[in-house]
Amino acid sequence: MRYYARRVGFYLLAAWAAITINFLLPRLMPGNPVEVLLARLKGHLSPQATNALEIQFGLAHHTSLVHEYVSYLNQLAHGQLGISITYFPTPVSTVIGEALPWTVFLVGFATIISFIVGTLLGIIVGWKRGSRLDVLLPATTFLSAVPYFWLALLAVLLFGYVLKWFPTSGGFGLTDTIGFNLPFIESAISHAVLPAVTIILASIAGWVLSMRNMMVTVLGEDYVALAEAKGLPRRRIIMTYGARNAILPNVANFALSLGFIVSGAILTEAVFAYPGIGYLLFEAVSNEDFPLAQAIFLVITIAVLVANLLADVVYGMLDPRARQGEA
Amino acid sequence: MTAVFQPTDPAQATTAAATPAASLSSRLWVNTRGMLTPSVIAGLAILGLFVVIAIIGPYIAPDDPSATTAAILQGPSLHHLLGTTQTGQDVLSELLVGTRASMLVAFLAGAVATALAVLIGTASGLIGGLADELLSVLTNIFLVIPALPLAIVLAAYIPNGGEIALVIVISATGWSWSARVIRVQALSLRKRDYVLAARASGESRMRLIFVDTVPDLLPVIAIQFLSLVLFAILTEAGLAFLGLGGTGSWSWGNMLYWASEDTAWSQGAWWWFVPPGLCIALVGTSLALINFGADEVLNPRLRSARIARSNRASAAEPPSSAAGPELGAGPAAGDSDADVLLEVRNFTVTYRTDDGAVRAVRDVSFDLHRGEVLGIAGESGCGKTTLAYAICQIQRPPAVIEGGSLLYRPRADAAAPVDLLTMTAEDRSKYRWEEMAVVFQSAMNSLNPVIDVQNQLTDSLTSHRPDWTKQERNARAAEVLAMVGISGSRLHSYPHELSGGMRQRVAIAMALVLEPSIVIMDEPTTALDVVVQREIIEQLTELRHALKFSVIFITHDLSLLFEFADRIAVMYAGSIVELGKADRLYRQPAHPYTLGLGTCFPNVSGPLKTVRGIPGSPPDLRSLPDACPFEPRCGYRLPVCGTRQPQLTFGRPPLHDQTLVACFLHDPEQAASLPAGLIPGQASNA
Repeated sequence: MRYYARRVGFYLLAAWAAITINFLLPRLMPGNPVEVLLARLKGHLSPQATNALEIQFGLAHHTSLVHEYVSYLNQLAHGQLGISITYFPTPVSTVIGEALPWTVFLVGFATIISFIVGTLLGIIVGWKRGSRLDVLLPATTFLSAVPYFWLALLAVLLFGYVLKWFPTSGGFGLTDTIGFNLPFIESAISHAVLPAVTIILASIAGWVLSMRNMMVTVLGEDYVALAEAKGLPRRRIIMTYGARNAILPNVANFALSLGFIVSGAILTEAVFAYPGIGYLLFEAVSNEDFPLAQAIFLVITIAVLVANLLADVVYGMLDPRARQGEA
Repeated sequence: MTAVFQPTDPAQATTAAATPAASLSSRLWVNTRGMLTPSVIAGLAILGLFVVIAIIGPYIAPDDPSATTAAILQGPSLHHLLGTTQTGQDVLSELLVGTRASMLVAFLAGAVATALAVLIGTASGLIGGLADELLSVLTNIFLVIPALPLAIVLAAYIPNGGEIALVIVISATGWSWSARVIRVQALSLRKRDYVLAARASGESRMRLIFVDTVPDLLPVIAIQFLSLVLFAILTEAGLAFLGLGGTGSWSWGNMLYWASEDTAWSQGAWWWFVPPGLCIALVGTSLALINFGADEVLNPRLRSARIARSNRASAAEPPSSAAGPELGAGPAAGDSDADVLLEVRNFTVTYRTDDGAVRAVRDVSFDLHRGEVLGIAGESGCGKTTLAYAICQIQRPPAVIEGGSLLYRPRADAAAPVDLLTMTAEDRSKYRWEEMAVVFQSAMNSLNPVIDVQNQLTDSLTSHRPDWTKQERNARAAEVLAMVGISGSRLHSYPHELSGGMRQRVAIAMALVLEPSIVIMDEPTTALDVVVQREIIEQLTELRHALKFSVIFITHDLSLLFEFADRIAVMYAGSIVELGKADRLYRQPAHPYTLGLGTCFPNVSGPLKTVRGIPGSPPDLRSLPDACPFEPRCGYRLPVCGTRQPQLTFGRPPLHDQTLVACFLHDPEQAASLPAGLIPGQASNA
C-alpha cells in the first residue's frame, strides 16, 4: 500500500509543479503578448473575465505574487481556465471539453494497440534472437526515428490523395450529427483510421526494440535456463519466465514513452485537422491564444499523469517487489 | 522513437569498470574498442555525410533557396533535381541550406541538454542526501511532464527568438531522462574506492565531479548526447512544423511547415515534403544505430545474441554422437555398463566470440554411476559451470556444444542408452527434470522474481504430471518444501522475501519435485555462510540416502568434495586432469594441480598444513598451445610437458587402477627420466 501512496503523492507533486510552471511562465517570459490581446479585447470582455485573465497572466500589477498565486489556484479549483481567444467568448474549459474525448479515443486506442502489438512482436523477435527475424531490427530502428507528422503527411498523400481510401481531414463528416447514431460512428471511425495508423506505426518500433532488448537480456538469466531445464512448455518459458520479467522496465518507463507518443499525436492531429486537443493546441498557438494553449498543456500533463498512475498500478501487480515498498 | 531513449533500465546500463589509474585516453580506448559493429559504422557514415552537408550545403546549393520563380510545383527534373515549391523555390537548395540550421540546432540543443543532465545527474548522484532527493524529484517531475506540449507553450512565448530560443526551449524540456541515467551511473561510481578516497582527502566537490568522475561517465554521457541530439532534431522539426521555428530561416522543419501550409499533399507534390522528412529520419536512424551498437557493448547479452546470429549456420550441424572412441579402454573400464547412469564422452563446448573461439570444455569424458556423488572441482573459469549447463543442454549463446555424446541409461536393464544430444525436442522436454534436475550457484538468480514459490514448485508438475489435480500438485509442493526444512507457510512467498539459505533450499526442493535420478549442483552452497553451508550439505546427504539420486556436484572447494563426494574429477583449462575416488585424491593427489588445489583450503579437522595458492593464473582458452596447459604453473614440469598434451590415462601403480590422470609424471614412457619420489601421487606414500 505504501508503494501506491508514494506514487499518488509523487503525481500530486508533479501536478502541482505543472500548475506552478503554468502560473510562472507568462511572468518569466520576456514581454507579455497577453497584454496586447487584452488591450485588443477591451470592451468585449466582462470585468470578471478581464480580472481572471489578469490573474492568470500576471497583469494585475496592484496585487502581490502570492496573492495572485492563491487567486490563480482558486480559479483552477473551480475549473476556470479563462476565455479562449480563438473561440471567443467560449470558456477554455468548454472548448477543451469538446476536444478531449476525441483525443482520448484516438490516442488511447492507438497507444494500447501499439503497446500490445509492439510488445508481442518484441517478445517474438527477442525469443528468436539471432534468427532471420533480426533483419527487422534496422527497419524498426528507421521507423523509430521517423517524425510522426511526416508519416502523417505520407499517409495523407498515399491513402487520401492518391488512393482516396480514407478522408484526410477532420473527425467526422460535415453532414453527420454528433451522437450515438450509426452514420456518425461509421464516419468517426473512417476519419480516425489514418491518424490512428500513423500513431501506431510511428510508436510501435519503440516498443518492439525495447521489448526485444529486454527479452534478450532476461533470457540470459539463470531462472530462464532453469525453466528450460525443467522441461516446461515453451509458451510458459517465454511468457511467465521471459516476458513477465522483460516487460517490467517498459511499464516502469511508460511515462517517457507516453510523453513521446502524446507529443507525436499532437502533430499528427495537426496534420489531419483532427478535432482533438492536439489540433486545438496547434490552432491556439497559431492564433496566439495563450489561455487556451496553457490550459491544454495543463490538461495534457494531467492526463499523462493519470495514465502514469495506471501504469504504476499495473507495475505493482506485475512486480511483487514494488508492491512491498522496495521501489 | 521510445527505444532510443530507454536503451535498458538505467541500472542495467552499467559501463564496464575502468580503472582510475589508467589514463583518460586509454580508458576511452577500452570503452570504445569493439564498438565498431556494422550498425555503428553505418550510423557514423550517415551522420558524417549530413555533417559534411551541413558545412558545405549553402555553398553547393544550385539556387538561392528563397528565390521565387515562375516554375511552380514542378516535379523533379534535371533543372530542379528535387522539383520546386508552390512559389517556385528550388527544393534541393532549401534542403541543402536547411541542413545547416537543423543540424546546428540539434547539436547545440543536444550539447546544452547534455551539459544540464550531467550537471544535475552527477551532482545528484555524488552529493547524495537531501540534495539528491530534491534533484531526483525535480528530474522525475520533468520526466513525467510531456516535453513537446511544454516546448510548444514555451516557444509560443518567444515567437521570434530564432535558433537560440529553440536551443533553450529544447534543452530545457529534454534533459530529464539523461539526468536520471547519469545519476544512476554516478551513484555506482560514488561507492568506488577512489571516489571515496578523494572525498576523504577533502577534494572540493566540483573537482570531484569534473576531474574524478566525469571521465568514467564519458561513454554513458556520449550515448545520452546522441539520444538528446535525436530528441532535439525531432522536437525542432515538430516546433517548426507548427510554425514555431522562426519561419524566416530554412530548416527541414520549416520546409515541412510550408509544405503543409500550402497543402502540398493535395497537389501530389510529394517531392516537396518527402526529402526533408527523410533527412530527419535518416539522421535519427544514424543516431539510433550508433546507440544500438553502444547498447550491445554495455549489455554483453545483446552482443552475444548478435554473435549467435553470425555463427548460427556453422552451429547448426548436430554434434556427432559417435565421437566416443575406445570405450572399453577408456574411463568406463572396470565398471559394468549396468552401473553407469550417465556416460559423457569427448564432450566439447565452445564460446564463439568476436575474438575467436573460446574452448571452455575440451574433450571431457566421465561416467556417473548409480547413486554416487561425483564431484567436479576446479578454479573459476576452468569450464565447470559451462559443463553443468551443457550437460543440461541449457548453454547460453554464444556457447555451442561442438562435439561428444551424452548417453543416459534410465534403468539397469535398458537395452540401449538414450542419446541426450540427438533426442527429439518432445522427448527432451519429457526427460528434463523427470530424470535430470539442476541447482544453480546463486539461488536469487535461479528463482523467477515475479512468481511465488508454490508456482515455481508446481509448474514442472503441471507439465510432467498432467493428470494430477491442483490439490495434489500443491500438496507435493508442500511436501518437498518440508523435506528441505521449510514451513508450508512459505509457499506463497516471493523469492525476495526469503533469506539466501532459504532460497537455496527452495531451489533444492524444486529439483526434487519429480524425484529425478540425477541432480546437477553447480556451487550450490558457495554464496552462503559456512553455518548454512554445513546445514545444507547435511540435509543433502540425508535426502540422498532417502531418495537415492545421483549427484554431479560442482565446486571450487576441493575440501568440501573430500567429505561429500564418492569420486572427484579435477578440471583445469576445460579438461579433466585427474579423476578418482575421493579418499584416494585426498590421500594421494596424483596431478600437481590437484595437489595445489588441496593445499588452497585449510582443513579444520585434519592435521595442520601450510595453506598455499597456486602461482600464476589459468591460460587463455582462446589460444591453447599444444602442451600441457598447466605447464607454466607446474612445479614438477618435465621437458616433454611443453611439447605436447598429456592424455587422461590410468596412473601407474601404486595409484589405484581406477584413477585417471593427465600428466607426464605418470606416463610410463617418461618414468625412466624421473627421479624416484618426485611423482606427487607416490611421494606421499614414500
